[in-house]
Amino acid sequence: MHIMQSVVWAVLLWPCLVSLGVPLECKDEQGSIILCASISKEKLLDRVIQHAELIYRVSEESCTLFEEMFVPFPMRSQRNQAGYTCATKAFPIPGSKSEIQQISDKWLLHSVLILVQSWIEPLVYLQTTLDRYDDAPDTLLKKTKWVSEKLLSLEQGVVVLIRKMLDDDMLTTSYYEQGVAPYALQPEVLESVLRDYTLLSCFKKDAHKMETFLKLLKCRQTDKYSCFLH
Amino acid sequence: MMWRDVGVTLILSLILPVVAQGARHTPPGKPKLTSCRSPDKETFTCWWEAGSDGGRPTTYSLFYHKENSETVYECPDYHTAGANSCFFSKNETSIWVNYNITVVATNALGNNFSDPVDVDVVYIVQPHTPENVTVGVLEDEDGPFLRVSWEPPSKADTRSGWITLIYELRVKLEEAEEWEEHRAGQQKMFNIFSLHSGGVYMVQVRCKPDHGFWSEWSTASYVIVPDYIPRERSMWILIAVFSAFIFLILTWIITLNRSSVKHCLLPPVPGPKIKGFDQQLLKKGKPEEVFNSLVVQSFPPRSTDYEDLLVEYLEVYVNEKQELMPEGKDLQDVGCLKSKSQSDNDSGRGSCDSHTLLMEKCGGVESKDESSYEEPELLQGQAGSWERLERGDSQVVDTPDSSDGRVKTWPLVFSPSIHGSSDNHHYGTLEMPKQHSTSEITYSVPDHLFPTSTSFPHHHHPEYRDSLGEYSEYRCSRSPSTGVAYHWEARHPTQAHSNFNIRNLERQKEATGLGLPPSRSMEYVEVQKVNQENQLVLKPLSSHGRGPFQRQREMAEAGQYCNYREKEGAEAERYPTQQQGKTTKDGPVATQLQESTCLTTSGYVDTAPTMPTF
Repeated sequence: MHIMQSVVWAVLLWPCLVSLGVPLECKDEQGSIILCASISKEKLLDRVIQHAELIYRVSEESCTLFEEMFVPFPMRSQRNQAGYTCATKAFPIPGSKSEIQQISDKWLLHSVLILVQSWIEPLVYLQTTLDRYDDAPDTLLKKTKWVSEKLLSLEQGVVVLIRKMLDDDMLTTSYYEQGVAPYALQPEVLESVLRDYTLLSCFKKDAHKMETFLKLLKCRQTDKYSCFLH
Repeated sequence: MMWRDVGVTLILSLILPVVAQGARHTPPGKPKLTSCRSPDKETFTCWWEAGSDGGRPTTYSLFYHKENSETVYECPDYHTAGANSCFFSKNETSIWVNYNITVVATNALGNNFSDPVDVDVVYIVQPHTPENVTVGVLEDEDGPFLRVSWEPPSKADTRSGWITLIYELRVKLEEAEEWEEHRAGQQKMFNIFSLHSGGVYMVQVRCKPDHGFWSEWSTASYVIVPDYIPRERSMWILIAVFSAFIFLILTWIITLNRSSVKHCLLPPVPGPKIKGFDQQLLKKGKPEEVFNSLVVQSFPPRSTDYEDLLVEYLEVYVNEKQELMPEGKDLQDVGCLKSKSQSDNDSGRGSCDSHTLLMEKCGGVESKDESSYEEPELLQGQAGSWERLERGDSQVVDTPDSSDGRVKTWPLVFSPSIHGSSDNHHYGTLEMPKQHSTSEITYSVPDHLFPTSTSFPHHHHPEYRDSLGEYSEYRCSRSPSTGVAYHWEARHPTQAHSNFNIRNLERQKEATGLGLPPSRSMEYVEVQKVNQENQLVLKPLSSHGRGPFQRQREMAEAGQYCNYREKEGAEAERYPTQQQGKTTKDGPVATQLQESTCLTTSGYVDTAPTMPTF
């Protein structure tokens, strides 16, 4: 069953994998399409970090666009202000550098993966809600769509990375955590707008988390001692 | 009374608030959080500003609570970051977590809460300025360039990837106003090209995390760019080469057209010429052929009025007793002048080169049969008219032709009064000797008047002068345009200032006798025309307007022309030049004898001997 699932996923996500440049499967398997052009861990990590950076930048732009278009001025959050509450995750996310430094590589990677996977569905949902807006700018829609696509790629990359670095044979498919509280559909417009705005802001923060984790992980890969000196 | 109470109440009500105002204390005003900043994403600081303190000492305290937690904490550190600040250390700092911060102002009367502010540390990162900004000048094949390098702020942990910084730098010349900004991305080095040689540049760098604020600009670093080969000098070299090239081309063009340029700048002065006069023939020594070519068959024009052309002024002493022989029997003794002139198109030559002045002795010494000459015969009648006889072939009448610029010399004929004392009907003619060997023109004077009619060469002029009992002013004036006017004057040698040495006292007497008798009346005669019989028709001038000054001037002018001729003609022989300043003399006395004999290669004597006038 799992093997079948993995094969199906490999076939379905073949374009994404090609764009990512990372073959999903690199071992002989019956009935599976093998593409064993291997990539080193360092390069893979660099690529994943680039993905994370790009996702964060686009999400930041989308959040700004949305804020300018739809959010009333008094309710706009300042740069340093976050008047919303993001959904808490299933497991604790380290909140400081010291905490992060205490976490192992494995935990870092898994944290990243969980984060990525937790946002795949809300972003899809966000796309549907944005379509309901009358005058949503095209750029906003394109960006959100792009982000959701790239998130999938990121997930795949992290999975491969986990496998390579941790030799952890995990399921590549993203399982949807039930712990993520679904956002209730509110018919009120203002609440809907605020809800969407909160969604985008929280995603932006989490994207930054992913990026930071991955970069810290990269430092550990190159020079373990200097990373902890600071 | 009631009014008093009311007034007191009123006053109290007015005074009391004022008094109480000063003494009243209020709770503090509302403080306000101004900003919170984190330099390294690990710690952060918040600042607030106080409101009114209400007259009482007021304390401030900061309280916060994190999102999803109701636990309220107080600021751990009020002093590290200065007054009215709160510093959160690493242990108290959590990122990706919203802080809800509130500042409370407290005094004795109460407290006041500020508006709460939500802060996420991630979004308030503002690093310090980049450190160790170094600028150096490096050389390249295209010229020098600046290399700027720096280091991230020490507090920001970019090595572990905790913070990713992007940099920006700006450059300007020291005296410029506008900065030139460049994004450097995540690199820590940057090159700047296209520098001004010898300029002083200022460089500044700043940085920003990908999710925060820009840092402050670093302190300016100065760098001096050395003088490399300046473009301006090479440009001047190019300009110099180009202009030299153009100058060479112009010189070459001018050299090619040298003659026409010279013709344009220094137009040659045309001089009188005799058409048909062959200079080469004359050199060969065959004057006859030369002169023959000058003969104009149509000369003299018989129907032309020469009144305007020929002006002769003869100072004639009219002796009514005398009679002139109409015939020119004595003309043989009279030297005559003949000048043959023909129209000459050779006017491009200098005036002194022209050989239109051709005087030929006719009659007397050498007679050339083939050459025609004329013998002016002056007959003096009662009225003082003169005639001129022409002998020989009717050839060229030396009528001054102004168009040709020919010089004609006329024999000087003395009035009958000159030879009145002695034989009559004497014609004194002046022979203008030429120095040319082949041809001579001699002035033969009647023997009783003068010594012999030998040819008087140029150097005999003094003798000639001496022998003459009279002095005549012979002017030769030549000008290409105006023609020639001859002026004879037989002056009365009344004064004793004569420079002549009379050889022969007898001659002198005769000369004097021949010449103008003293204190005789003098009359000026003008030659009007030449009548059909080639006789001069004279008319006396009405006035004696023409004074010696004028004559002198004319002579001077004649001399000028002759001098000019002499200068022009390279082969002209030297001759004593005429005094140029003769005209300035006031008195009629010209003590020095002036003679200017302009000789050309043809032997033409263009003499203008001027006798001293009295």
